[in-house]
Amino acid sequence: MAAAPPQPRPVRLRPPRAGDLGVARVKVHAVPSTRTAMAAPSWGLAAARAGVRLRLPAVRRCGGAPAAGAPDAGTLPQQTEERPGTGTAATGPRQVPSEKSESFASMLRRSPLIQMGPAKDKIAIGRIFHVVEDDLYIDFGGKFHCVCKRPEADGKKYQRGTRVRLRLLDLELTSRFLGATTDTTLLEADAVLLGLVESKQTKQKE
Amino acid sequence: MAVPRLLRAAAPRLYSSVPAPVPAPAAARPRAVDDKLLSEPLSHPDFFNVKELFSLKDLFDARVHLGHKKGCRHRFMEPYIFGCRLDQDIIDLDQTMQHLQLALNFTAHIAYRKGIILFISRKRQFCHLIESTARECGEYAHTRYWQGGLLTNAHIQFGSGVRLPDLLIFLSSLNNVFEPHVAIRDAAKMNIPTVGVVDTNCNPCLITYPIPGNDDSPAAMELYCKLFRMTIIRAKDKRRQNEVFDELRSKAEGN
Repeated sequence: MAAAPPQPRPVRLRPPRAGDLGVARVKVHAVPSTRTAMAAPSWGLAAARAGVRLRLPAVRRCGGAPAAGAPDAGTLPQQTEERPGTGTAATGPRQVPSEKSESFASMLRRSPLIQMGPAKDKIAIGRIFHVVEDDLYIDFGGKFHCVCKRPEADGKKYQRGTRVRLRLLDLELTSRFLGATTDTTLLEADAVLLGLVESKQTKQKE
Repeated sequence: MAVPRLLRAAAPRLYSSVPAPVPAPAAARPRAVDDKLLSEPLSHPDFFNVKELFSLKDLFDARVHLGHKKGCRHRFMEPYIFGCRLDQDIIDLDQTMQHLQLALNFTAHIAYRKGIILFISRKRQFCHLIESTARECGEYAHTRYWQGGLLTNAHIQFGSGVRLPDLLIFLSSLNNVFEPHVAIRDAAKMNIPTVGVVDTNCNPCLITYPIPGNDDSPAAMELYCKLFRMTIIRAKDKRRQNEVFDELRSKAEGN
């Protein structure tokens, strides 16, 4: 997703914790899930309280994939270290962001979606991928697309593949109605169409 | 209705699935070689090397980690969620990698053993993509309204002697009213294993091999279709190759 040029931020080289990412830990109910790491959070928390940093390479292995543990070992210590999320000083390995070994948490932290922050009133560039008469379906790199009305100015220029500037309002339109147990979602994002992307070529022509 | 045509189109594969007299098998091949053909892939944890088909970066770029808002979250998806950022759930891609590897491996084994695979999704946006994926791999797809008894009442709706699918792949496990697709429950009733992409608002319970991931973005759906297509084609090619080797070997032994 191409946001407006961001301010250069100081780079943090220690491995990210949940607090850094701005990602809230989801409270997991006591669902007996044998596959995934139900054991890992309690091990990690106990270790953090004891002030000891344990390496638990084997905890997250699924029952059905015993041989798959070896290549995942590189990412597992990263996972167990960030699980506690408490204030212990991070003495773990530094994440070098090379193509091969970048962890999911590291990729997520650097992604434009997280760097952008709240979507309200952020400028983004999208691409029209479908047109139905006056409705333009624009994809800006989020989970959903947004639908905008074709503007009167330069209306003919908005075709499939055109890049446009948007002001985002919401990444997903959801609302909890009275008497419902879950939110109802429209499977769409909400944005205001600002206009075409003015590239250098169009500026030079003018 | 497209489904009976789809299931009946595979004429060479139709045989009686009810306990009825099995036609005399024209098996000229000895039993030992047959067993080796089928049992050899089972000894390896990743015989078809499905792990090399995708990487964490591919999943990330295809926006597989993006989930719905916090209010839409299903309680049973909580173990698969990495966290919640400004009310939007983020799916843990490390777990998704493991689940995807298991699911693709299972699909490859089913395709290797000449099983019938049925792709199911009720998302209108991707129904054409899924139908063309199924056509390219030589398998089947059902992306329209699911009539009640398609699996559980098959012998009455389609006549006797209909072979049911051996694997159902759900590229989106909800129907148009955000309820779990009926085929998940019916497949569990008929002992048919299921592979399914489950988003943060889906129920992963009855699905045999759930794949926690985004099922709403076109990039993610194209990635899943590409992975399943490559896996199935790879497994079928491997089967053909092994059969040719066995024939050559038996000819050499015969001579």
